[in-house]
Amino acid sequence: MMRILKSREFLVLVLLGVMILGVATVNRAVLYPITLINILNSSIFLILLAIGQMFVILTRGIDVSVGAIAGIAAVIFGFALNGGVPLPLAMLAAMLTGVLAGAVNAVGVVLVGIPPIIMTLSTLGIFRGLMRVLTGGSWIEQVPQSIKAMSVTRVLSVPILVWATAAVIIVAAILLARIKAARSFYAVGDNREGAYLLGLNVAGTEFAAYALSGLFAGMAAIVFVAQIGFVPMQTGQGQELKAIAAVVLGGVSLMGGTGNIWSAVIGALFLTTVDSMMIFLHVPGSWNNAVAGAVLLAVVVADYLIRRTVRNRQLVLRAAELRRADADAALGREVAP
Amino acid sequence: MTLPGWLRSWEAMLAVALVVEIAVLGMISPAFLNIENLLFSTSDFAHVIIAAVGLTLVVITGGIDISGVSVMGLASIVMGLAFVAGAPIGLAVAVALATGLGAGAFNGVVVARTDVNPLVITLATLFLFSGIATGLPTLLDLLGFKAYGAGGFEAYQYEGITGLPKSFTWLGTGSIGWVPLPLIVTVMVALAGGALLSRTRFGRFLYFIGVSADVARFTGVPVRRTLILVYAFNGLCAAIAGLVLTAYFTSARSDLGSEALLNIITAVVLGGTSIQGGSGSVLGTFLAGLVLGYLRQGLLALGITSDVVPVIIGALLVGSVALKIGSAALAMNRANRNALETGRRAVEETVARP
Amino acid sequence: MAADPAPLVALRGVWKVFEGVPVLRGIDFDIRPGEVHALLGGNGSGKSTIVKILSGAYQPTAGRIEIGARTTVLPRPSDAHQQGIYMVPQEPHIFPNLTVLENLTMGLAGGVANAAQARRIADEIGLSVDFAMPGGGLSIANQQLVEIIRGLLRKARVLILDEPTSSLTRREVDALAIEMRTLTARGIGILFISHRLDEVLDLADRVSVLRDGHFVLSAPAAELTPEKLVEAMLPADFLPATESTVAPQGRNPVLEVSGLTGRAFRDVSFNVLPGEVVGIAGVVGSGRTELAQAIYGIDTDVTGEVRINGKAAPHRAPQSCQAMGLSYVPEDRHAHGIFLTLPSARTISAGLLALGRRKFLAPRMEGELASRFVDRLRIKLSSTAQVARILSGGNQQKIVLAKMLAPEPRIVIMDEPTRGIDARARQDVYRIIRELTAQGVGVVVISSEMGEVAEISDRVLVMLRGRMMALPTGRRSVEEISAATFASRRGAAA
Repeated sequence: MMRILKSREFLVLVLLGVMILGVATVNRAVLYPITLINILNSSIFLILLAIGQMFVILTRGIDVSVGAIAGIAAVIFGFALNGGVPLPLAMLAAMLTGVLAGAVNAVGVVLVGIPPIIMTLSTLGIFRGLMRVLTGGSWIEQVPQSIKAMSVTRVLSVPILVWATAAVIIVAAILLARIKAARSFYAVGDNREGAYLLGLNVAGTEFAAYALSGLFAGMAAIVFVAQIGFVPMQTGQGQELKAIAAVVLGGVSLMGGTGNIWSAVIGALFLTTVDSMMIFLHVPGSWNNAVAGAVLLAVVVADYLIRRTVRNRQLVLRAAELRRADADAALGREVAP
Repeated sequence: MTLPGWLRSWEAMLAVALVVEIAVLGMISPAFLNIENLLFSTSDFAHVIIAAVGLTLVVITGGIDISGVSVMGLASIVMGLAFVAGAPIGLAVAVALATGLGAGAFNGVVVARTDVNPLVITLATLFLFSGIATGLPTLLDLLGFKAYGAGGFEAYQYEGITGLPKSFTWLGTGSIGWVPLPLIVTVMVALAGGALLSRTRFGRFLYFIGVSADVARFTGVPVRRTLILVYAFNGLCAAIAGLVLTAYFTSARSDLGSEALLNIITAVVLGGTSIQGGSGSVLGTFLAGLVLGYLRQGLLALGITSDVVPVIIGALLVGSVALKIGSAALAMNRANRNALETGRRAVEETVARP
Repeated sequence: MAADPAPLVALRGVWKVFEGVPVLRGIDFDIRPGEVHALLGGNGSGKSTIVKILSGAYQPTAGRIEIGARTTVLPRPSDAHQQGIYMVPQEPHIFPNLTVLENLTMGLAGGVANAAQARRIADEIGLSVDFAMPGGGLSIANQQLVEIIRGLLRKARVLILDEPTSSLTRREVDALAIEMRTLTARGIGILFISHRLDEVLDLADRVSVLRDGHFVLSAPAAELTPEKLVEAMLPADFLPATESTVAPQGRNPVLEVSGLTGRAFRDVSFNVLPGEVVGIAGVVGSGRTELAQAIYGIDTDVTGEVRINGKAAPHRAPQSCQAMGLSYVPEDRHAHGIFLTLPSARTISAGLLALGRRKFLAPRMEGELASRFVDRLRIKLSSTAQVARILSGGNQQKIVLAKMLAPEPRIVIMDEPTRGIDARARQDVYRIIRELTAQGVGVVVISSEMGEVAEISDRVLVMLRGRMMALPTGRRSVEEISAATFASRRGAAA
């Protein structure tokens, strides 16, 4: 319990609650259930991107191409739907596109050894370009409107798309916590050399992380298309940086090894909520980015200060431990076995 | 042995690539080879090179600053707002440059004072600065500043600020003889950055920090101060790039340059600067910037859609890094084999001797 | 033990070359069932390379590995595990964010059975902690037990313990000794690496000494004494101590340290006179490096007084120390001393550059400075533009020396100045120290090699568990220094 209370996810969750309540004192409308549901609904795209991103960051990598992967997966999804492919198959195609795109990143990073930021920055350009080439630069519009059913049909007044995303999150969280192989994401990011020396498949784990990042970007693409009903060229644009910000905000360290699905979920939720709150405060939307950036900066700097304090205290404790043992020895209290 | 020589010639390779590129494009489309066209088309991408020069210095320290593209927009809108608020154009430009310098120094202070990854810090300030840039007009209204126009400052947020004096837009559209002003500014920034890097103690410190910040600290290099200064320099370069772009478009906008991030980083890395730090040159960045810029111009001139351009640029970036990694590995392999043979021979000789 | 049972694992004629520099030169080595085989050698002698080859982290450049008389390859650590070899690294590989149980079973196939077995082995070995707590909360001694249990869970028949005692208290070391005996009684072979000679003789059945990439001694522990070990570890051309030719000059100390206290050392006071060599003997973990770095202003979290050249230096940083005439040659050359990927001349001029007021570079002056030091320190370079990384350890060390000597300091602290360099370079370093003292420079040499301290020091200080002791003035013998440094229980019992 203490661990949960001390965790960064919890800190951000509390901040989120405080922010919503704070805004509620100015504008009660924030607390209407429909408002909260709308916030949830508009955050699931970023949540999915952030979860994918989290796998990569867990292993100490970074993937700035997730937005572009979502874009190209959305295009394939749109093509498939317009080509008369049944919805489940079209969804599969979108996710497969994501996995393939992620695998391209993985080949460059894991097999060739290109620094992740360079590799994924390149594929950001490549995927975005390909997306335009495939579509000739125009929006895909005549997507069967049946797809929108997913986002407008509501169960308990919550869109089924939100329910579906929640299910994906919970399944992913359970798998990540329970499957042994999933723990190697943490092991590789926590202590890469240690993981290798213990016989873990480090390259395979990193490969899987990039592929998963692509998979979740593919899912995010499905959500996006279902919510707006067409595929604009801007799909996912700029979202890669938001996804990274969300993950880091939620407590996943770029040094790897810490964080979980909830970090990504809460971080993404927070960033989306900030945008919504601005509306309720009648602050012009133009300030959204400034607030998001300030929050991210404040949280990572605070996190650094806390870590530094904890580390110093540990060093002092160990020094004291050694000294005590020394003093014991000097007093002859230590009895030879 | 082969590595340093090969690295030294990276700029030479880029120069050759640039000449070949222009020649090939010229053969396909003779109109492209026109000197005036070659000179004036640089105005389209001058801002990329200017920002890349500053980033080169940062990346040499092993850091990164992705917030530069936001600083471009911030400097642009600050300049525009200062002008419409009644400041003389010279003062407006000075305020914008100071803003860039301050934004960069802010990045530098956080990078130098914490162990947080510079990518995260500048990701946060990327949002922060662009948010400030877009929000600034409404803030000025709120604070009760008066603009000449009827709609207050907020009107400028989406439309951009036009009506800038000729003396300023000349910076983006004018020329001295056949040489356009943006190119002159670019060359001046590159010369300044290059001199800073290769002629001053500060520049040497950047390499030291990039190779090993710990060794630098043990040597007595003021690591923190140097980092703050280099991020500040990068902020200044981004502000200059933003102003040049503003003059070129004759309109001050908060979202200027936001598309340039990929191109800027590509110019730096293709220019031979290692993303891990410790090596790189401004000349390489400058040449790579020209190669990239003309590639884009040339492809467009050939009727290839602009959609394909990022695909080619991305592939170029991956290819150049993979090439470097591969050749470095080969060279090290060869060095180890030679050393083994030498060592073995030495042992055999000792054994053979009576 | 039966006479020469077949080895569990053996290296035959193994070479290893890094970045063009040979580290192992055709060594033969084996570990037999039920024995503790100790591997000794100075820093950089190639010990850790042997360990990494045996554990599958490195591949030999030439030569072969035999397991049970069959030649084999260990391309990855997991292959070494399958062949029954497990390394317990000096710094245990703990996943701070995973639970203790996950730390134990990470990388193993199978599920619940592992957990049960991990608990059983933990009981046997004596690890009693909450298995659900995060690994980051384990004490260092328990982290080591976690590593040993990891090995036993993999049915290891060879355990490699890389300096397991360097950060343990004496009580924890005693417990470890009992655990090692439990393991060898089961027929497990242990490769034991330590800097502490008394521990080696206490715990090992067989001792091998590595120097400059090949073995100079391999014998049963019963036939050895600390003196013999020290002798074997000394360089081939080691000269017995001679009387100092230069008497310390002047009476005003160039360095005065009084009551300095930090995390790893307490209440340390000493002076250094001009032209004097003060040797500080101490093993890894005795607080000697922490002391040196506190004096040089790297670690500022200390109390006490330091005076450099007679002037108080309350707020020290590397820059200010150098400006006052104090230089520090760090222990870890690669991490703290040399700019590996830059031309050698760049490192040589770095110290002067950082210290000077000159804002612009002066390439010609820099070149002259570099060539002057290349001549003076006899650095072997094809040109001063040669990248430092491909040079031998000795030449790299001389480049670091050049960097720290260029500002012409009045007092130089050298931390393990001959670590991992060959015999000739070692003699060159001693010559440089003599030249410095002849010019009236005060030199502090920190070393874990007793022979070195004995040979070059005018006065010897000993660091032991964070406290400093002075030996009676005048030159001391290797034996005296060893006895004080290791503070052996052997000696205490006698």
